[in-house]
Amino acid sequence: MKPLRENIEKAIRASSRQELAAALHPRHLPLSLIEVNQLLRRLKEFDEPAQQLTVVAVRSYTTELLKPYWELEAALNGFRLEFHTAPFGVLPPQDGAIQVDLTPDVTYFFLRWEDLDPDFALPIAGLSTAEVKRIVDAARGRLQGMLKFYCQTVPGQVVVTLLPRMSRPELGQYEAMVETSEREVRWALKRQIVRDMREGGLAASFEDLDELTAEVGRGVLFDARMWHTSRYPFSVAGAQALVRRLMTYPLLLKTPRAKVIVLDADNTLWGGIIGEDQLHGIALGPDYPGSAFVAFQRRLLDFQQRGILLALCSKNNLEDVMDVLRNHPHQVLREQHFAGIRVNWEPKVDNLRALAAELNLGLDSFVFLEDSPHECYQVRRHLPEVRVVQTPTVALEIPFCLDDVPALEVLRVTQEDQQRTAMYAQEKRRKQLAVGTQDHGEYLRSLEMAMTVAFDEPAHTPRLAQLTQKTNQFNLTTHRYLEADIRKMIADANWLVADFTLVDLFGDSGIVGVGLVRGMEQPVAEVDTFLLSCRVIGRGAETAFLHAILGDCAARGVKRLRGRYLPTAKNNLVKAFWRQQGFTEVGTDVYELDLEKWQPPESGRPPIRVQVLRSSIGLPLSVSAID
Amino acid sequence: MQERFESLRDIMAMIFGIDKERITPQSAQADITEWDSVGHLNLMLSLEDAFETRLNVDDIPQLVSVEEILRHLEAVCRSR
Repeated sequence: MKPLRENIEKAIRASSRQELAAALHPRHLPLSLIEVNQLLRRLKEFDEPAQQLTVVAVRSYTTELLKPYWELEAALNGFRLEFHTAPFGVLPPQDGAIQVDLTPDVTYFFLRWEDLDPDFALPIAGLSTAEVKRIVDAARGRLQGMLKFYCQTVPGQVVVTLLPRMSRPELGQYEAMVETSEREVRWALKRQIVRDMREGGLAASFEDLDELTAEVGRGVLFDARMWHTSRYPFSVAGAQALVRRLMTYPLLLKTPRAKVIVLDADNTLWGGIIGEDQLHGIALGPDYPGSAFVAFQRRLLDFQQRGILLALCSKNNLEDVMDVLRNHPHQVLREQHFAGIRVNWEPKVDNLRALAAELNLGLDSFVFLEDSPHECYQVRRHLPEVRVVQTPTVALEIPFCLDDVPALEVLRVTQEDQQRTAMYAQEKRRKQLAVGTQDHGEYLRSLEMAMTVAFDEPAHTPRLAQLTQKTNQFNLTTHRYLEADIRKMIADANWLVADFTLVDLFGDSGIVGVGLVRGMEQPVAEVDTFLLSCRVIGRGAETAFLHAILGDCAARGVKRLRGRYLPTAKNNLVKAFWRQQGFTEVGTDVYELDLEKWQPPESGRPPIRVQVLRSSIGLPLSVSAID
Repeated sequence: MQERFESLRDIMAMIFGIDKERITPQSAQADITEWDSVGHLNLMLSLEDAFETRLNVDDIPQLVSVEEILRHLEAVCRSR
């Protein structure tokens, strides 16, 4: 689908970057190269974006022609782009091939399969199992070698791509029937590559361009003229689709991630207006247009699988909407799928603020979907940090309307992500219990909390990195770390890497807190990072967790522990944390605790049973029962 | 002819990021440093879009002067 010419003209005439980007949304492909240049020229007339994005291309084919599309994507997303291309064909990148002072946010490897093993250029299907294994192992080893070298030399995230086959499969239509087909061999290597990445601890991702081929089609993605004359494979349309996929990585690394999709109900979850059309009058079911809404509701569950919450915000009578959620035979999303429900006649801006408070999430993690242009305008105006998407007026387009929101992509999915909605539901029940209990202490005791603290556990690395990147409110220093950083700390005896999980009456929270301490082999250690996921705030877990860390520091001979508070726009909540925990202020926002005098307090401790595990031993170090 | 030259000039100025006064009917790739190999391919892809044509792979390396490009476009339009 091509964007309407009038939308592009509106974008070219726009008076601000935001207006220009909004005119182009939804971003149907493709623009012509002239349109790309016209948009770029307009974008250059606005103020230069403050945030810089540095990307490097390491390639075995021509990638210079991608530049205008990179510039457009960067500018539309508010970045000033610095784009470097490593010298042609220097693989693996060698000393001197990359500027030493370069600190890219993302490096892209544009490789061909035959760069990993020359046999990929030859017929594959007739090879023996042993030969296939040799090729896969060799290719895997070569890529691992390149990545290790590169990641040790250059900071930032690496994204590896392999150029898909430009021709149809080796065995034609029969390809799918053969277990040793070329396609299967490539899949086997891909599976191996991503396993190595997950387990190897390098800051590397694999972007599967076979998925890009599926999205736009082989015939659209490539331009044979460019390939044979210039070793540049892509068409104008293909280059745009490619760059948009690649741009997702810097966006996820450098902008706030979406954590919740707030949905309007009428004409978004179903067609029509429940207050007027009644339960059986709304469009929702197997027939068009109701089928489009069923498809969209099903699609929303995909986002939930990535760890993104769903919430409902609708101007309606609560009972009307609840009637659909509970009783409509074709409603896919039921009450338990929503982490928050605000159905009333209050302004949406107020409801969004209330949802942010209820879910303990910042508004910059909200994607707001709404069909009314008036409501969209209000929210854009009053809550500019919220990403607003207007529901398409054509029902058929609705199931795809969130596909082009890069903030809804994820760099990793953990077990916690897939259980997040259930965890919020537990939290809701906890709050209901709290309302019914007068005394907060009694409420906490009734939760029967048990904490497991783990020290230096390598298996937790992905989740720990994710928590440092996502946690904003209960975060004393807001240092962001990649998995590779965490792995280094775990291996370094001078660091303590602590985390905890919390189980209570309502369920298991998963890993929800991180403490990183530097200087474990010195008299004065410092808490580099101390954070808690917002869903366990208010239950004393921070105190129990800190005590476990203090206990370990004291046991290992640390004399004094220093803590810092680095204020941000979001972490006011923990401004007084160190003082509350008995630390003494020794400078502006710097605190210390004398561990030689410190004793685990006998009273005032939260009613949490704590068990400590150290990974190298794998056995409980200590169990302290409380109350 | 003049009209087509003006459109071409606008496109070249935009693709190469230069003032359009630098482009004359006599300009060729050798005269304009911004008209490098990458610029050339981007120019060709833009011409396809602006003049609604698809260039033959053998024509692409030939169209390296304003004169050649105009002659080619003239032929394309005449054959319609």
